[in-house]
Amino acid sequence: MLVSITFYLFLVLSVGIFYLIPRQNIRVIWISLASLSFITYHDWKASIVVVILTIMSYQIGRVVEKTKSVRSLQVGIILLLLALVLSKYFGLLSDTINSLLEFMGLLPVIKIEKLFIPLGISYITFKHISYLTDIYWGITKRGTFLSFLCYSSFFPIFVAGPIERFERFNPQVSGERHTLSSSDLEFAFRRIVYGLSKKLILADWLGYFIAHNSFLQQDFMLASIIKLLCFSLQIYFDFAGYSDIAIGSSRLFGFKIMENFNNPYLRSNISLFWRNWHISLSDWIRDYLFFPLGGVSRNKFWNIVLVPIIAMGLCGIWHGAAWKFLLWGVWHGIGIAIYQIWQQYKRAHKKQVAFTKSKIWLVLSTAITFAFVTVGWLWFK
Amino acid sequence: MEEILIEYITHEFLEDDSIEIKADTKLISSGIIDSFSLVSLQNFIKDKFGKRIPSPRITADTFDTVNKMIEVINQF
Repeated sequence: MLVSITFYLFLVLSVGIFYLIPRQNIRVIWISLASLSFITYHDWKASIVVVILTIMSYQIGRVVEKTKSVRSLQVGIILLLLALVLSKYFGLLSDTINSLLEFMGLLPVIKIEKLFIPLGISYITFKHISYLTDIYWGITKRGTFLSFLCYSSFFPIFVAGPIERFERFNPQVSGERHTLSSSDLEFAFRRIVYGLSKKLILADWLGYFIAHNSFLQQDFMLASIIKLLCFSLQIYFDFAGYSDIAIGSSRLFGFKIMENFNNPYLRSNISLFWRNWHISLSDWIRDYLFFPLGGVSRNKFWNIVLVPIIAMGLCGIWHGAAWKFLLWGVWHGIGIAIYQIWQQYKRAHKKQVAFTKSKIWLVLSTAITFAFVTVGWLWFK
Repeated sequence: MEEILIEYITHEFLEDDSIEIKADTKLISSGIIDSFSLVSLQNFIKDKFGKRIPSPRITADTFDTVNKMIEVINQF
């Protein structure tokens, strides 16, 4: 969607009109209207969902801010998760239940029609959960309805992130009127060109290469390995390219959106990988799943092994309504658990693990991390 | 508070005995404490000082040194 001509025509038009508007609050209305129009153009039902969820979350946010009631926060989170589960996962759940019933031969199979999956539902629900939780924690204010609507619908980051936080977004929307500087233009142009190059040249070429290279179509171990390596690079360039375009396009409106990728394949452990891969999602998982789950118990097995597996499993299934994504997440959860056990071992046996400070170990551990992540893509494909 | 935090971090996270943790030693950005280990630090602060620090405030920007931690803890 961010590589289509429509997107760029829309971007140029909406940015042009944005800078013709003298007042910041009118500009915010304009961005919201432009964003909702963009969403409507691609999926009209999604724009209705965005408006409904935005009104709902804003009203719940009002109650949470006023009362600091954990019950209100829980109601808000449950409603948002219901919206996500009913739209995105209803089909998967009904198919799974039907398969189980059929397998057991106990009950007649009931076919339930799938609901529609609104565009951007995964991103908006995560953004709203962080919004409500941050209000409850007292680290962000509710803001105006318009700034929240703008945050919920802002079209450059609506479809594929980054999952920006309201705490960072709101001051930029409600701040002073932005003037487009040459450095903004240069930044935006550079990031959009980088993004398009990553997506259209590197990722798409790798995709073509995987699908059409005659050697890779053969059933050899080496061909499978090369194919997987190419897929590993393809998915990185694809996603990082989208993030570059989103960040660059947002800057045209003067918005500084958080970075989403920082050379993740050059990291020497799985923890560092996740600090640099889809950063906005991994930060979200860390803040709203990992830490809260970690606070439930002081038990080491729970914190070191179970929390990473549960949190990353949920992170996996967020990527798509198929069990393979859950397995991909669990794979990473197991990786993080092993890494944490290794860290504990290192602290307890400092002399025995002195070799981990060498440069050879750094290179080796980077290669091991890349191999681990790449094997994980087998689930994702 | 400073001494308690330094003692806990030294005992729980320090791998290199040649490093001495001080109030302004960089802990997260230097890799002494990795991202996932911060959960146990959050739990320790809750148990010791009775304050649960919101996780978005436990980052390399806001929680990198013991001094910064004390600043954040005092805010909540």
